Amino acid sequence: MRNFLKNFNWLSFAATVALIAAGAAALASAGAARGSAVMAAKWQDMLWSSAFGLALYFTLALTDYRKLLDWLSAPAYAGAIVFLVAVLLFGTVQFGGRRWLWFFQPSEISKLCVIMFTAQMFGCSHEWFKGQTGFRGFLAACVLAGVPCALILMEPDLGTALTLVPAVTVMLLAAGVWRKGLVALLAAACIGATTLLGAVHEAEKPGVPAERREALLKYVPLRDHQISRVKTFLFPETDKMAAGYNLRQSKMTIGAGGLMGRGYGRGESIRRQLLPPMGIMNDFIFCAWAEEMGFLKGSLLLLALYAVLCISTAWTAVVAEDGRGRLVALGMATLLFAHTYVNIGMTIGLVPITGLPLPFLSLGRTFLVTVLCGLGIVQSVSLHREEIK
Amino acid sequence: MKREPSLNGIVSFALLTLVFSAGFTVLAVRLRVEQVDKAAQHRSEMETQSFRRVQTAGLRGGIFDRWGTPLAVNRLSLCITVDPGAYRGGRKQGETVESRIMAALEGMAAIVGRPPAAGVEAVRRHLRVELARPLVAWRDVTEEELARFSENARDYPGFDCNADAERSYPQGTLAAHVIGRVGRDRLPPVSGGERMNFVEKELRGREGLEMQYDDYLRGMAGEERVFVDARGFATSRETVIEPRHGFDLRLTLDAGLQRVAERELAGLRGACAAIDPRDGAVRILASAPAFDPNECVPVLRSEVYRRLADDPAQPMLCRATAGTYAPGSTFKPITALAGLAAGHSAAEVYECTGAYELGGMKIRCARTWGHGGMDMAHALRESCNPYFCALGMSAGSNAVIRTARAFGLGQRTGIDFPTDAAGVVPDAAWKAEHFADPKWRPGDLAQMSMGQGQLLATPLQMARVAAALGSGWLVVPHLNEALPAERRPLAVPASHLREVRRGMRMVVDGGTGHRAGDGVDAYVIGKTGTAQVGYGANRRKNTWFIAYATPTAESRSDEPIALAMVIEDGESGGGTTAPKVAEILKAMYNRKEPAT
Repeated sequence: MRNFLKNFNWLSFAATVALIAAGAAALASAGAARGSAVMAAKWQDMLWSSAFGLALYFTLALTDYRKLLDWLSAPAYAGAIVFLVAVLLFGTVQFGGRRWLWFFQPSEISKLCVIMFTAQMFGCSHEWFKGQTGFRGFLAACVLAGVPCALILMEPDLGTALTLVPAVTVMLLAAGVWRKGLVALLAAACIGATTLLGAVHEAEKPGVPAERREALLKYVPLRDHQISRVKTFLFPETDKMAAGYNLRQSKMTIGAGGLMGRGYGRGESIRRQLLPPMGIMNDFIFCAWAEEMGFLKGSLLLLALYAVLCISTAWTAVVAEDGRGRLVALGMATLLFAHTYVNIGMTIGLVPITGLPLPFLSLGRTFLVTVLCGLGIVQSVSLHREEIK
Repeated sequence: MKREPSLNGIVSFALLTLVFSAGFTVLAVRLRVEQVDKAAQHRSEMETQSFRRVQTAGLRGGIFDRWGTPLAVNRLSLCITVDPGAYRGGRKQGETVESRIMAALEGMAAIVGRPPAAGVEAVRRHLRVELARPLVAWRDVTEEELARFSENARDYPGFDCNADAERSYPQGTLAAHVIGRVGRDRLPPVSGGERMNFVEKELRGREGLEMQYDDYLRGMAGEERVFVDARGFATSRETVIEPRHGFDLRLTLDAGLQRVAERELAGLRGACAAIDPRDGAVRILASAPAFDPNECVPVLRSEVYRRLADDPAQPMLCRATAGTYAPGSTFKPITALAGLAAGHSAAEVYECTGAYELGGMKIRCARTWGHGGMDMAHALRESCNPYFCALGMSAGSNAVIRTARAFGLGQRTGIDFPTDAAGVVPDAAWKAEHFADPKWRPGDLAQMSMGQGQLLATPLQMARVAAALGSGWLVVPHLNEALPAERRPLAVPASHLREVRRGMRMVVDGGTGHRAGDGVDAYVIGKTGTAQVGYGANRRKNTWFIAYATPTAESRSDEPIALAMVIEDGESGGGTTAPKVAEILKAMYNRKEPAT
C-alpha cells in the first residue's frame, strides 16, 4: 500500500480526473444548448462511462502490466483486427463512414491494441523476436500497425489512422528499431508532405488554369474531399461557404469567447447552431468550451491539463522498469498528444480539418474508455516497478 | 533493490516533452491570436452572422365618425404559418427542405380542409428570400379550420397560428371616398437607419383620409431580431423595439347622416356635402356611385382595379370634393350680393319677359312668358334668369367675380383631404389662357351671373357657400375632429345677407325648392339650381340644391347645417334634388322617423 501511494502517478491521475470533470461540464453546457433532452443528458452518460472507464483504469493499474501484455496484447490485437473487419462488413454507416459496431467503434479500441502489441513486441525482447531492431523489425512494425491502419482507412477514418502513426513511430524510435532509417524516413516524410502541400498549393492557388491544375493533382495521392480540405487548410479565406466553412465557423466561435469567455452555459454558437449540430459535441466541442470559458479559463487551462497529462504520462517512461512499460507510456502519451493537437489545431486552422475526438471532452464512450484503459496500463507501469536509487 | 533510471527513458521523455511543449505552445499562441487579438472581430462577425433584423409593422389606428361609429378598423386575420427551421434536419435520402415542407403542407391541407395559399413556387421563393421567417400557409383561417388545425397541429412540426391585422371597413361602402383605401408597402427602414434584413409589409394609405392621415394612423415600426443558425434557419426571436400602434382618427363626419345621403344618392351619380356652418366640421361627404374599400384589402387586385377604373360612372371619384360642376342657379345669391354691393336695392323691381336679350342672343327664363315684375326676393324664389343676368350685367364682372371669390369659389377649400378641387371662377385672364377667343365678353358675365358658363364648383365648395350665406362666416371645412375651427367673416354687409336670406327662405317656403322644406322640423333656407351642360344631344342637366338649416324648438338636433347636393342628369333642382335634401334634413332634425 505504501508502494501504491508512492508509485502511483498522482499528477497524471489528477489531470485525468480534472479533464473528466471538464468534459462533463462542457458536454452538459453544449447538450443543454442543443435543446433536446437526449443531448442534455449526454454528460451523465459520459460520467457513467468515465466511472466504468476508471474502474477498468484501477483494475488495469493494479494488474501487473507485464502479465497483462504477455497474456492480452496478442489476443487484443487479433481481436481488434477481427472487429475492424467486422465493422467493415456489418457496421453502421454514420456521417459517411462505417465506424460503428453495435455500441462501440472498433477503430478507437484498436489504437490501444496496436500500442500494447507494439510495446510487447519491441519492448520485452521476446525470444521469437529477439534483437529485431534492424530494418526487419521496422517492416514487422509496419505490418502490425499497417494492417489496422489500412482497415481503419477503409472505413474511412483518416484521422484515427493518422494518430496511430506518430504513436507507433515514437515507440519504434524509443525501442531503437532501425533508428537511422526511421529518422531518414521521417525526414523524407516531412519533405514529401511539404512537396504534397506545395503541389496542392500550386494547383489550387487562384488563377491557375484548369489543365495545369489537373496535371498537378494527378500526382497527388489524395481523394477529392481530402484535396479540398488541404486546399481549405492552405487558403482558408477562399472558401467561406463550402469546405472552409467549418474552419471559419470554428475560429469565429473560439474567437468570440475572447479573453474571459461568455460565461458557462452562455455560449451562443450552439444555440444558434453556427457549427454543425452533430460536430459541436464531438469534434468541435473545444469551440463551444473555448467560447464559453474564454482564453484564460478555457483554452489555457485545458491546454495545461492536457500538457500535464501528456508529460506526466511520458514521465512514466523514465521510471518504468523495463522497455515494455516505457513504450506503453510513450505510446499513450503520444497518442493523447496527437489527438489533442490535431483536434484543437484543426479548429484554428493549424491542421486540416479531420474528424478526431478530443480526449475526455468529445462525446464518444469507446474512445473515453479506451483512453482510460490505456492510462490505467501506464499507471500499472508506474506502480509495478522497483525503487529507483 | 534500487536501480538506475534508464537512459533511454530519460532521453525519450526529454525529447517527447520538448515536442509536446512546442505543440502546446503553438496551440496556445494561436488560440491567443484568435481569442484575444481577434476577439472583437470574431464577435462582431458572429453577431452579423447569427441574427437577422426584422422591421415589424405597428398596428394601424382606426377611423371613427363623430359618434364613435367605426369606419375603418383592424380585423384580426388568423394565419397558419410554418417555420422552415422545423424541416432543416433529419432529412432522408432524396428529400429537401422544400419537399418536406410541401409534404407537410399537403398533409396539413387535408386537416385544414383547403389547399394552402402558398404553392411550391411561393415556398421556394420563401426559402430563398425569407428563410428565417415563418411562411404564411393559410390566411383568414375560420374558427372551424382553426379547431381542426389545433387538434392535429402536433402531427407536423413547425406549424403555428398567428394573428395578422387586416384592414376592414365595417360600414362597407359608407363614406368610402372619404376613408379611401390602403395598400401594402415595403417601407424603407426607419429605426436607427441601419439595414434591416426583412421589412414587414406595412399598410399605407393610398387614397382619402387613409392617405391624408397616414403618418398619424400608421404608428411606429418596431424591430425584431431573429436568431438564425449557420444555414439561416430561425432558432429563436426577440423583440428589440415594440412597434407602436397608430393613433385613432375621430372624424367630424356623421355616419347616420352620411348613410341617409348615400341612400338618397343610391343608383344615381352625384354628391352631397354638408358642413357645420359654425366651424366647418364636415358632416356629410357623400359621392355616388361608391366602391367598397373592403375590395381593396389585402391588396387592390388588378381585376378589381380595372373594373373600378373602367366604369364610366367613375366610382373611385370623390365627387363631393373633386367633382366640379357648374353651380347653376345656386350661384344666384352671390350675383344678388354682387348687385347689392354695386348699389342696387333689393326692392328694385325688374320686369321679366321670359328672356334676357344680349346683343341678339336670348337667355331664356324658366318661365317662357316671363315672371313679370319682381324684386330680388321673388327673383330668387322663382330663380328668374333674366333678373340675375340684368343684375350681374349691371353690377359688372369685377363685382360678381370678387363676390364669388369672397365665398371661396375658385380656390381650394383647405379641407384636410387629399382631393380638394379649386373649381373655376373665370375672369378675363383665365379666359385668355384657356379659350381660343381671348376676349372677355358680356355673354360670359351674363352666363356667370346665373351660374353657368365656365363657372365650376365642387359640392363641398357650394356647401361652404351655403354656410357663408346663412352665417356670414366663411369656414375652412375639416374632417378631423381634433382640428380647430378656422373661419373668417365674409366681406359682405349683414343687411345684404339678410335680403338674400329672405329670398332663399322664400325658395323653400313655396318657391322652386319648396320640397326641400316640406315636413322638416327646422328653419330651412336654400336655393335650387339646374345647370345645363353640353349641347344638342349631349345636353344634360345637373341639378343642385344648397340649403342652410337652423334648428327650431321642435328640432331633434340643435346644430345648424349647411348642405349642397348635386345630381348628375337630373330633372330640376327643385324636383330632383330638393326632396332628397329634405330627407337628409328630416333625418337630422325630425324627432320621429318618417314612416317609410
